[in-house]
Amino acid sequence: MKIEDILKEFDGYNDVLAEIEVSRKYGRPYSHENDSADQYIDLLHPDRVALRVSDVIEETPSTKTLRLVSRDGYLPPFQAGQYIALYVEVGNVRTSRPYSISSSPNQTAYYDITVRRVPDGLVSNYLLDEVKRGDDLESSGPSGHFYYNPLFHDPNMVFLAGGSGVTPFMSMIREKVDLSLDRTVYLFYGAKTLDEVIFHDEMVEVSRRVDNIHYFPVLEDPPDGYEGARGLITADLMKEKLGDLADKTFYLCGPQGMYDFCMPSLEQMGIPRRKIRNEVYGVPMDISTEPGWPSDTKVDDTVKVSVTGVGAFDARAGVPLLVTLENNGVLAPSVCRSGECSMCRVKLLSGKVFQPAGSLVRSSDRKYGYIHSCASYPLEDVEILL
Amino acid sequence: MDGYDAIVIGAGNAGLTASAAMAQKGLKVLLLERHNIPGGSATTFCRGRFEFEVALHQLSSMGVPEKPGPLRMLLNTLGVLDDLEFVEMTDLYNIVMPDGFKITLKPDRSQVVADLKERFPHQKEGIDKFFDLAYGYANQMLGAFFFKDPEITREKYPFLYEYAFKPSSEVLDDCFSDPLLNAVLSVYWSYLGLPPNRLSFAYLAMLLFVYIEFKPFHVKGGSQALSNSIANRFQALGGEIRFNCGAKKIVVENGEVKGVITRDGDQIPAKAVISNASQVSTYVDLIDSEQVPDGVAKEMQGRSLSPSAFTMYLGFDCEPAELGITECTNFVMTDTVFDDNVFDKMRTLTIDDEMMVLSCYDVADPDFSPPGTCQANVVTLKYGEPWLRIPPTKYADVKYRCAEGMLRRLESVFPNLRNHIEECEVATPLTHMRYLGTPAGAIYGFEQYTKDSMFFQPSRRSPIKGLYFAGGWVGDAGFQTTLQSGVSAAKSVARDLE
Repeated sequence: MKIEDILKEFDGYNDVLAEIEVSRKYGRPYSHENDSADQYIDLLHPDRVALRVSDVIEETPSTKTLRLVSRDGYLPPFQAGQYIALYVEVGNVRTSRPYSISSSPNQTAYYDITVRRVPDGLVSNYLLDEVKRGDDLESSGPSGHFYYNPLFHDPNMVFLAGGSGVTPFMSMIREKVDLSLDRTVYLFYGAKTLDEVIFHDEMVEVSRRVDNIHYFPVLEDPPDGYEGARGLITADLMKEKLGDLADKTFYLCGPQGMYDFCMPSLEQMGIPRRKIRNEVYGVPMDISTEPGWPSDTKVDDTVKVSVTGVGAFDARAGVPLLVTLENNGVLAPSVCRSGECSMCRVKLLSGKVFQPAGSLVRSSDRKYGYIHSCASYPLEDVEILL
Repeated sequence: MDGYDAIVIGAGNAGLTASAAMAQKGLKVLLLERHNIPGGSATTFCRGRFEFEVALHQLSSMGVPEKPGPLRMLLNTLGVLDDLEFVEMTDLYNIVMPDGFKITLKPDRSQVVADLKERFPHQKEGIDKFFDLAYGYANQMLGAFFFKDPEITREKYPFLYEYAFKPSSEVLDDCFSDPLLNAVLSVYWSYLGLPPNRLSFAYLAMLLFVYIEFKPFHVKGGSQALSNSIANRFQALGGEIRFNCGAKKIVVENGEVKGVITRDGDQIPAKAVISNASQVSTYVDLIDSEQVPDGVAKEMQGRSLSPSAFTMYLGFDCEPAELGITECTNFVMTDTVFDDNVFDKMRTLTIDDEMMVLSCYDVADPDFSPPGTCQANVVTLKYGEPWLRIPPTKYADVKYRCAEGMLRRLESVFPNLRNHIEECEVATPLTHMRYLGTPAGAIYGFEQYTKDSMFFQPSRRSPIKGLYFAGGWVGDAGFQTTLQSGVSAAKSVARDLE
């Protein structure tokens, strides 16, 4: 029995047929449906942004700000605290690095990224020494989840920064200043010497000029006559400067050591976890100091990394798989390079890798061997599938 | 030659099952996925210490091992059942209203009926009548079409002939005079995207029937576990997956599929292509217009796009009970009248008294979130089109404004909720456009008006030789149906290639 022959006996069948006919006659063609949506999404989340360096600003002896404008006249909006990943080719290695945008989100004429020299850092040295005004760069769209969320964050914001970790906070502070936002900001900025403090003059100035901005540089090795806080960002220091702790949200961005020191302090101060926001900050410089790193493996141990259908490469245990892939010319997508965004997900077919605790791998990914190559270290010969 | 028997575009539910089922039949299959992870909507993502479920609310048609439902059997045939752990939900659904009304329906027919009669004693007869009709319809539907009766007649299947094209509201109004009861039994409309006055009774009846008879389930590890296990099975069968690799073109010559060109510019020959992309993008973007047969565009334009969704993913630093959440599936309802007014609400860029579904998997599966925490997925339907008119610089504001509206509504039924939020992520229709690539971010494919309902859906075979469809655009949307759709498409391909 043909289905139509059955259906035509159903109550109301003729009405349905009539409706189909009318709908087809007056329906809107779909011919341009998808293009328009893709174009719109590109305005918010482009895969790639074509940039040009419009200015290079010397911030400290080891830090410069690169002012980046769009080559095609449009930069997507972002939320203060977000970062872009710069895609660069340095000495035949194609790689990427995430940099928080330090300029205010109130305008998108340009993005500022503020780069601090990392000893032996492939990309930071390239950006600081080679890149000049007028050069072209390419980046991802703005990414990341480290921003003020009005749904549940307190408008009293405590920023704990270390090193170049101050950059997302500068964007948030500049936004507050530009728009006179009803937020109170406390910036605790830990550094070794005053020389290393980025944006010091600007912070001294805005904290004097603008209400509700409080600036506390905390120096381990302050110059003679320095009257500010010394040592590290301790619980006592925060309690002294902040008063009531209950109505505040804490944001942390800095090197691993800062989290290791500050997180226990916050816990001791009774700050609930929901009031603490941590930005990812790359993987540790020396992975072997991470809890759980096997004592019998040295970072310089050599292993073999085989990539199905691509080839096999010599690698070192202390180097993330993603870096080994890039060093061997294998293209692998990446954005956060901190184990969070999962863009660099690959499948581990055999062998063992070390994944630091902060790596956000889905539970079923763990079961089926999917790993984030930016935060996975080969402890023995491994085989992976891209 | 280095070609494939079949290329599957998109690793959503249907793309995954289509790939695995074809590989099981010994075909050489390549699965292309533009994202870096399989699943499409059937996925999870991590924020802080939470792994959030994106799209699965209640898995239907699983049944228990002693009385397996169609989905359990399908997963078993695919060889992934033992890989996965399913958790039975204790409630069919719970309804909460800001005025304090609350009722929990259990996934058991006699208990639902008894509980409803206790709460609505003045509607006892209507309640019996409604369930007799819903079950009668569902059983006849299965008898006629699922079990493929060769001789279908009105005498054998009177409910089928009378109710297949009837709007749900007619049946509900006929059974109930109490608008509250009417609303309580029709909330599943939001799983289908059309209010009861537009949704055929066939759908409402089938949905209630399968959820009650086969129980609603949740899967450990979320829907990503399901997607990963099918992808893994496919690879184990020799199938090949390319992630981060979208399709740019389906090559069609003289009305016949020749292969696929990827976004990287790779041209890959294949005898067949199964598209798990939307029918719209397949015909509009992936195939050169001169190769699209006459009549395709006309048929397509008779159909309309289903809504997209606005979803809030909340991670809490406490157990569900502390928030007052006692059930897995909670319809937060303010209004009890669902008619064309819901379309207006689905088109606004605000959220106020919309119907929302809050799913808290931790109620059934305490391991789902870390100890001492829980998560909720709260969704309301929104058409995607108005979102495309927001100036990009205002997008974040609109997103927060809608989320704030949703939170306020939630606080009216779970007062303590905001004080326990540890993580919060929001997905808008634009998020769905970005990650699913469906036109206007539609999550249910084409709208399932009676004229586009199960009997009138596009075929999984296309007028182009070698091109097939799988997924919610050529069948009903939802997990069970799309998973099933992939297997059916695989069967068609295998049969045609023989």
